[in-house]
Amino acid sequence: MVVSNRSVNPSARRRNFIGPAKMGFVCLLALMVLLVAPTAMAEKYSVTPPTGVYEGKDVKQPIEFPHNTHVKENGINCMYCHTYARRSKVAGIPPTSKCMGCHKVIATDKPRIQKLTKYWEDKTPPPWKKVHDLPDFVHFTHEKHLKTLVFDREFPVENVKEVCAFCHGELENMTVARKVKPLNMGFCVRCHIENKELGAPGDCWKCHK
Amino acid sequence: MSGKMNRRSFLKMMGWGGAGAALSGCDLPSTVTLEEGKEEVVSYLMPEEFVIPGVGVWYSSTCMQCSAGCGIHGRVREGRVLKLEGNPDAALNNGKLCMMGQAGVQGHYSPDRIVAPLMRSGGNLAPVSWDKALAVLNEKLGATNGDRFAWFTGTISGHQLALVSNHLDAMGSTKHFAHDVVNNAVSQAVNKDMLGEANPRLRLDKAKMVVSFGADFMGAGQSPVHYAGQYAKFRTAKQRGLLVQIEPKMSLTGGSADLWLAIKPGTEGVLALGIANLLLNKIKVSDAGIPSGVRKLIDRYDVTKVAKITGVAGHRIQRVAQLLTERSPSLVLAGATVEGHAHGYDSVAAVMMLNHILGNVGKTIESSGNFPFPQLMAKQGNTSDLVEFAAAASGKKLDAVIFSGSNPVYSAPAALNLSDAIGNIGFKVAISQFMDETTALADLVLPAASYLEDWGTQVPATQAERSAIYVQQPLMEPLHPDTRGLGDIILTLLKQRKTAEYGQFDDYYAYLRNAFAAMPAAVKKNTKNNNEFWDAALQTGVINLDVPAKKLKSTVVSFAEPISEVGDADANGLYLLPSPRMGLLDGRHANLPWLQEAPDQISKVVWDSWAEIHPTTAAKLGIGNGDKIKISTHSGSIELHTVLLKGMHANAIAVPLGQGHDDYGRYAKGLGVNPLKILDATRETKTGELAMYGTQVQVTRVAPPERLGIVRLGSSDTQAGRKLVVTVPVEQLRRTEGA
Repeated sequence: MVVSNRSVNPSARRRNFIGPAKMGFVCLLALMVLLVAPTAMAEKYSVTPPTGVYEGKDVKQPIEFPHNTHVKENGINCMYCHTYARRSKVAGIPPTSKCMGCHKVIATDKPRIQKLTKYWEDKTPPPWKKVHDLPDFVHFTHEKHLKTLVFDREFPVENVKEVCAFCHGELENMTVARKVKPLNMGFCVRCHIENKELGAPGDCWKCHK
Repeated sequence: MSGKMNRRSFLKMMGWGGAGAALSGCDLPSTVTLEEGKEEVVSYLMPEEFVIPGVGVWYSSTCMQCSAGCGIHGRVREGRVLKLEGNPDAALNNGKLCMMGQAGVQGHYSPDRIVAPLMRSGGNLAPVSWDKALAVLNEKLGATNGDRFAWFTGTISGHQLALVSNHLDAMGSTKHFAHDVVNNAVSQAVNKDMLGEANPRLRLDKAKMVVSFGADFMGAGQSPVHYAGQYAKFRTAKQRGLLVQIEPKMSLTGGSADLWLAIKPGTEGVLALGIANLLLNKIKVSDAGIPSGVRKLIDRYDVTKVAKITGVAGHRIQRVAQLLTERSPSLVLAGATVEGHAHGYDSVAAVMMLNHILGNVGKTIESSGNFPFPQLMAKQGNTSDLVEFAAAASGKKLDAVIFSGSNPVYSAPAALNLSDAIGNIGFKVAISQFMDETTALADLVLPAASYLEDWGTQVPATQAERSAIYVQQPLMEPLHPDTRGLGDIILTLLKQRKTAEYGQFDDYYAYLRNAFAAMPAAVKKNTKNNNEFWDAALQTGVINLDVPAKKLKSTVVSFAEPISEVGDADANGLYLLPSPRMGLLDGRHANLPWLQEAPDQISKVVWDSWAEIHPTTAAKLGIGNGDKIKISTHSGSIELHTVLLKGMHANAIAVPLGQGHDDYGRYAKGLGVNPLKILDATRETKTGELAMYGTQVQVTRVAPPERLGIVRLGSSDTQAGRKLVVTVPVEQLRRTEGA
């Protein structure tokens, strides 16, 4: 046996491999997409954002992270830090190493950065509090939503914050994140109805599985 | 709503057309608990490049839920193991995993785990630090030596066994008791005498017919997943394999049989002699190699006599013998119900003799070869060690005992008086994850890591076509920081005795790496260096070994008459069958709600104990379905509800194992009864094993059924005239179809 990549379990890779049996199904899907594509092209760029507001409470975080400084003043893309959003069901809190990538040299005199540096040196990530949460019986994936709303629409990735704001509000005007959208079933379903031409599924089991 | 609303129109309305109306309630404030501002969401400090939160990574390891030692893959997400599956690289289970393996995560995350060392002070167990615990342990073990010190384990193998053996050497002791209720110790003894090997490879996949005398190889056998895989090949072969199961109580394997025969408990050996009689005298198969004493024994048992003794109809015996000659090679197996009598060895020998007569040895029974690492080979648990341990304890011959991976206080029959005898041991140490009955009596409790947090190697006694060492690696950091792995604990004990030799190893991981590096080059093929070999072993979870082929001898030993005089005298005697099942097994999984919730494969009962009894026997005793009954023996009695079952012999009453825990956490405690407690402590004459299936009982009715007596799922034995499965008698089919 030849070991090619030590870091990833080879059997694990095998599990993700699309076998011949699945391949036929994938080809069939691709064919269906090709047939449907010309008619769907007209609406391809229009999305109706979900509606609804929510008065979220202020969540006290270990470090008062200023989203406004990062997004509005410095124009950093959401997905630079929340890099897992396009790859996984969760957007992920950025690893502490990512923060330190910049803050080893930037703004090291600020108390909040000194607090962060302390966490880094103690080798303990800051204990952030959860802000956006869904019940365990709801399956939601960032990956699929970004694919449909950003990449498949050829929406400019540099403006991705407009799409993130559908569900998370305008974080460029917040310091620590606050829940400003209800994120309940009505909120989800209205958007799925409005955007069904984009492929938003309407089956119960798509989310409750 | 108008009266026209029915299910279909409601569903239609629930479609996108009317969704707005139907979903108006969905904007109400959530009634479920959300973690906004409550739960912490901790990021990685510096993640591995392949780690993506929300996406699982699969790692290989080895299952420890029973002694079979199947290879597993565990899905790990955000540092937590979430799901286990079989490892396709493991030839033993070939990517499959049974329900006990699946439930492994539940034991791992159980709220009843012991999380800190406990020491007895003033009668109660109180938390102490590891330093204190190890210092006391060092002092107590230093004060004893020789055979006054002992290890008491379940089936144990691999480098953990090597360390236990080395620790016993260091203490100057030879006492390693290994106990398992579900074992095949008698068959091992017979195999060793007749074939020269205790654990030969049984190749169901090469057989055209299997006759199993009570061997529940797919349920509570020695390696259920392995044999279920072989059984699938046996069934899907070009000539579909034929399974005949002969047992006093229908097991999971019996439920799959083409022909299921109820046999009077303890007479299986007689039936084997009867089949041998037909083969040799009627079908004229050669009797070469059969000792004259055995030949005379065979001749004494003609079909009429055998049918009378065993309760199996004569024409059925003739049919089985005929089929065995038509379908060659075949495979004849003996299981726990054959072994568990005073004459168990003789019965198993009679059954295994059929393989010799039919020429199966070498065809469907193969040698497992000389395993290159004998010190790692499994020390398999049995019940004779339990009896000897009880004797040593009551004779005050033990100063200090370390218990690990076995619960003798629960599984010892009351007749052995173990819970009292154990009080004579000066210092009892339990390395345990849970507060089970044995741990509760210990003087010092060391909290063990779960098998999903621990390092190790397993060498299953039942090996696949290719012998292998199965590698166990932690799938996550310890859930409870104060628990320690078994290997780490034994290594610490060894360091206390042999500092010069073991001081070089920081932990069990370092010991294992060193041991792997020391393996011969033949094992490390295709890897360039020791690091690569180590990584490859962890990736695949298996170290495949080339074990040179060996030839088995095929002999028949002289054995005595395989029947007990007592049992024969009392034609109406009821034998108690303490039957293990896939699920709770011997009671070790009673603390896993998933397995409690999984219904018994035959009776469909959940979360309880029950007694299975044949309807005619029940009628004779005036007992109805669901009645509360009392089962009494010389050693005590148990009370439980009945399930009338046609898959029983009239002389048998079965009580499944696993319940009746006095301790063992919130899910196990106080449920059902433990049939092991009331067994006679009769021993098998040649091997000294407990005769687990040889206890005769008295049964009396106590009370009528209660409304919430026992819970059975799908508990109807009849189709209530609904014709769910349409059947037609053979005679009628012949008449109408002309077949």
